[in-house]
Amino acid sequence: MDLSLLALSPPGWGGVLLAGLFSSLQLAVGGYLLGLIIGIGGASGKLYGGPIVRDLLEIYTTLVRAIPELVLILLLYYAGTDLVNQLTALLGLPSVDISGLAAGIFVIGVVQGAYSTEVLRGAIKAIPAGQIEAARAYGMSPFMTLRRITLPAMLPYAVPGLSNLWLIATKDTALLAVVGFSELTLVTRQAAGTTKHYLTFFLAAGVLYLAVTLVSNIAIGAIERRARRGMVREA
Amino acid sequence: MKSILKTVALAALVGVAAVGAASAEPIKVGVAAEPYPPFTSPDASGKWVGWEVEFMNAVCAEAKLECVITPVAWDGIIPALTTKKIDAIMSSMSITDERLKTIDFSDKYYNTPTGIIGPKSEKFTATPEGLKGKILGVQVSTIHAEYAQKHFKDVVSEIKEYQTQDEANNDLAAGRVDAVQADAITLDSFLASDQGKECCESKGNVVDDPAVLGAGVGIGLRKDETELKGKFNAAIKAIRANGTYDKFSKAYFDFDVYGK
Repeated sequence: MDLSLLALSPPGWGGVLLAGLFSSLQLAVGGYLLGLIIGIGGASGKLYGGPIVRDLLEIYTTLVRAIPELVLILLLYYAGTDLVNQLTALLGLPSVDISGLAAGIFVIGVVQGAYSTEVLRGAIKAIPAGQIEAARAYGMSPFMTLRRITLPAMLPYAVPGLSNLWLIATKDTALLAVVGFSELTLVTRQAAGTTKHYLTFFLAAGVLYLAVTLVSNIAIGAIERRARRGMVREA
Repeated sequence: MKSILKTVALAALVGVAAVGAASAEPIKVGVAAEPYPPFTSPDASGKWVGWEVEFMNAVCAEAKLECVITPVAWDGIIPALTTKKIDAIMSSMSITDERLKTIDFSDKYYNTPTGIIGPKSEKFTATPEGLKGKILGVQVSTIHAEYAQKHFKDVVSEIKEYQTQDEANNDLAAGRVDAVQADAITLDSFLASDQGKECCESKGNVVDDPAVLGAGVGIGLRKDETELKGKFNAAIKAIRANGTYDKFSKAYFDFDVYGK
């Protein structure tokens, strides 16, 4: 194995790989946050919304969780942009250019949103009903209840599921390689193909993904400890 | 140096002409996001290099257009063009009737024969008889895939389609396919690499079939872009006439890549 190929400056490809990793992380963070926002909205809608809202959300979560993410990415990336451009043309606006990053964040966000809707719904249902009733008895508005009671109280139940989703998000970014977005997997394939050193580059990419997971685990552990403070330690 | 001065001078002229007018959007030129030497491949600093990149620079300078390279997956490059993610394709895309149904092309800017390579240990020729019972590798959605389907489908044991040319070459070196059919120049470039030198050799070029293999490589454009097409055609003609084309081609090829 020729490690000089991984040097940070040309002729080493390390710089290109790190730039790819940075793109992957941008996608993952953006997609995950969008997914969380959709998830909070979706879970609230499913639990407290009217019958129409519930049915619509049911269709959304069922569809997105049923279709392979690769298909969704191809669908939203090509058909989605086309749709947006047809809309802007109808409104007499100039066609917009949706960057690979924006499209990627949107796709991962929509996918993650469906899963986090279910994770958060489960977590909210685990909160003892008395806590929410007490908030209402104190005259808190629904939004204040959400912010002060529901979100903090459901966090201990949601963290394991949400941390799973985060780790999935970091790896889902690799799917964007199929549309030619220069994230870590695509640049690795290009570097490997150009230099013909497949083992070196794919191992390097594996190490980078592993590093992301290890760093994430530390952060998740800290969040979980904070969320569970004051609760009885299990096992 | 001269050409740089010329470009600068041209740019200055365009700049003066464009004052007051809305600044033109850069033309996004799509290339397949894969190493396809010697035409387009990424280098270690993440930049795209190769003959086709030089061609793009020359033709865009001549047409006074600002062009930026946008890598796109090969099998999605036509949808990317029609949905306006890119404005032109310069990715060794041959002009064929099939593609002309969806997109438009500029005049051709290069044309090369189609070749077949195989392992050194096996002797065969690039004919239906030679390929009998073999597994043939091609890149998906290329003229070569179509040619193989038309001429070799009945004799070969299997036609394997790959997302990138690089993967097909790699599987040939690994012994998963017995032969690979592609553009003869890009195959030469693989045969010259360390990996290609060890395993494989050229088995010759296939018999031409203009209906499938097309009339050379052109710049892919959307159907309604007649103005852009006119600009590109004029620029191709101009760089052919003023020697720029031959100048940058010489660094890559020892023959006329423009073809007949």
